[in-house]
Amino acid sequence: MPQNSYQKPLPAISSLNKPYWDGLRNRELMLQKCNGCGMIWAPPSPLCPACWSRKFTWTRLSGRGRVSSWVVFHQAYFRSFEGDLPYNVAEVELDEGPRLLTNLVDIGNDAIRAALPVEVVFDDVSDDVTLAKFKPRAA
Amino acid sequence: MANFALKDRSAIVGVGESAYGRKLMRSAIDLAADAIVGALDDAGLTREQLDGLVVSFGSPIGADGDTLAQVLGLNLRAYNQTWAHGRFTGSCIQWAALMVNAGLADAVACLASVSFSAVRRPMMGGGGDREGGREAGGGHGEDPVFGMTSPGAGAAMVARRYFERFGADSRALAAVPIAFRKHASMNPHAIMREPFGIDEHQRSRFVCEPLHLLDYCLINDGAACVIVTTAERANDCRKSPVYISGMQPLPAGREEFIWSYPGMGIAQQSVFEYQPELQAVYKMAGITPADVDALFTYDAFSILAWIALERWGFCKPGEAAAFTQNGRIEVGGELPMNTNGGLLSEAHIMAWNHQVEIVRQLRGECGRRQVKDASVIQWANAFGDSIVYRR
Ligand SMILES: [Zn+2]
Repeated sequence: MPQNSYQKPLPAISSLNKPYWDGLRNRELMLQKCNGCGMIWAPPSPLCPACWSRKFTWTRLSGRGRVSSWVVFHQAYFRSFEGDLPYNVAEVELDEGPRLLTNLVDIGNDAIRAALPVEVVFDDVSDDVTLAKFKPRAA
Repeated sequence: MANFALKDRSAIVGVGESAYGRKLMRSAIDLAADAIVGALDDAGLTREQLDGLVVSFGSPIGADGDTLAQVLGLNLRAYNQTWAHGRFTGSCIQWAALMVNAGLADAVACLASVSFSAVRRPMMGGGGDREGGREAGGGHGEDPVFGMTSPGAGAAMVARRYFERFGADSRALAAVPIAFRKHASMNPHAIMREPFGIDEHQRSRFVCEPLHLLDYCLINDGAACVIVTTAERANDCRKSPVYISGMQPLPAGREEFIWSYPGMGIAQQSVFEYQPELQAVYKMAGITPADVDALFTYDAFSILAWIALERWGFCKPGEAAAFTQNGRIEVGGELPMNTNGGLLSEAHIMAWNHQVEIVRQLRGECGRRQVKDASVIQWANAFGDSIVYRR
């Protein structure tokens, strides 16, 4: 499929979250880590939500986590998702702590389980945007 | 800590509503007029005595405060408005209670008016939902990039988490919409009045699994209004005042997610066993949950009733599934909930219809669905705000 045919909603890339999206482009799952207290957080913030330090480092994460919850859409809200119905949306709790919303791939919706071990896969959906999706991995 | 000196210092003195319907073909301002005029009449107040307005859920689905004042010819000293979410109903009434006690206004109309049928593009999910794509995520955990859209999807995420964590299931959850539909069957004003059972609930299509269509509230048209004034002025009104005895405002932070209580592990919440101590609203009102004769909650989705019961300490985490069985939350049960039929079956007027019903219950005006000797009724939500009303 040509890259420019992607019809689904694209992320709003801002000054705050650009390093996250740049990271995905480079096949790296990056989040901010506080230089002071060590917290790693999502979504991106101008300061550490725990200690309010503005000194943080965009840090590459393991890309591993577990499914903490999930849903399966049976209704088409977006026309661009109609062909995917029924499609899943999951919350993945990363080994480093934060949770990300994502789609689980390489798994049937009926096989999704709580605490399922997963790892990130990078989905290039356009010339500029790569999405972090997750697939099952051996525990 | 709330100012306990405000206990019983303000009251609702009038309630009013428009017709409720799936497609009334009437504008939000048109519907709001019925609710405001009705509430003033119920209170025995004149238009000239109304000098404050608090609106939740404005345009384009609803009507905004400034246009209401202009079009309806109101002379307001003070008005205020929240953004277009149902979560602010209790907040609006709390503001009004503060306003009349601070002397910023004498009598405040609080309302929402909605005309969903007048809006061409659905704002509750999909391409019309601009808020869902706001910076750092939508107000109900939306992320359109992954097809995560609509308030119900966030509730479905909580429901799945709850089911997995506590071993509950959709069949147990059905008790909530079944109870509220039973209440609606006794309410001539309700849009959906035909009772149903578990099998029908299970057969209704999934919208966002694990929630079925019958776990979802209505999308409709209508307006409802309450008039708030001071306890002193309330004595001069037409009917018995319903006093605001306790108030607890709406919390926010990383440990909060709109459809769950802290500790559930949704979005960025920590995971722990939530143990509510006696909440501030009870301390202010001088009661405990055991004193509550009926409980009203924002039931946009069935799971929110379970979350509310546990958040406010009516049962422990994981126990609401069992608590809501066998008619316990029905009229005649131990803790009747949403006796109007709720957003699930009466109408989705952003729960302003619930405030109207609370007042009528405390006045003893509810006929077949009257909660016997109701004297204390609580408004308490999954998202953490509450008002204790007493007659
Ligand atoms: Zn820090």
